[in-house]
Amino acid sequence: MANTVIGSSIVIDGEITGEEPLTILGTVKGKISVAQSLAVEAGATVEADVEAQTVTVSGRLTGNVVARERLELKPESKMVGDAKSPRIVIADGAGFKGNVDMDV
Amino acid sequence: MASDEPCLIASKSAVRGQISGKQDLIVEGRVEGRIGLESHLTIEESGSVEADMDVAQVTVKGEARGDVVAARSAVLHATARVAGKLRAPQIIIEDGAKFSGTIEMEVELPAGIKAGGA
Repeated sequence: MANTVIGSSIVIDGEITGEEPLTILGTVKGKISVAQSLAVEAGATVEADVEAQTVTVSGRLTGNVVARERLELKPESKMVGDAKSPRIVIADGAGFKGNVDMDV
Repeated sequence: MASDEPCLIASKSAVRGQISGKQDLIVEGRVEGRIGLESHLTIEESGSVEADMDVAQVTVKGEARGDVVAARSAVLHATARVAGKLRAPQIIIEDGAKFSGTIEMEVELPAGIKAGGA
């Protein structure tokens, strides 16, 4: 199945929903709700409340995140917002500010 | 910046709101709102767009509804179903395509013929 890809020069102001994996290289403001994985790549900016199965952040993400399975913040990533997921990985070098809820 | 990477809204995905940018966009899923691109927009057979579109070039194989302004060209393939306003210097409608609405091509009339007949 083809991934949805938001390219680096693309700006979306609104809502993205979908059943395919979503890769963001550009800018998205609003709301994201996907059935599978969300990848916020290096250079990407997301200002949105996010809901996905797995969320991997290498760029910047501002907003509340619910990852049903796993949230991973890669070394150069920056995230501001509340994170809710049973598994949360924060790599050395990642920046994070917000609440963490692992449902323990 | 790599501007040649494919930018795609996959068939079971949807965007509601405004999309703008400088790289080519392929829509296999659904878009509602506004699209402003300095590049080529392709609406595939499975794609459905309900938006005002302001693009350099547009190719429609699926469904589109809205006001479309293309700086260069608009091509409606045989499978296209389009309703709205279409404005571009070059417009191609293939046999089999469905279109209802108005077309404006900024035609320059040959000397000796005046707009509005007579």
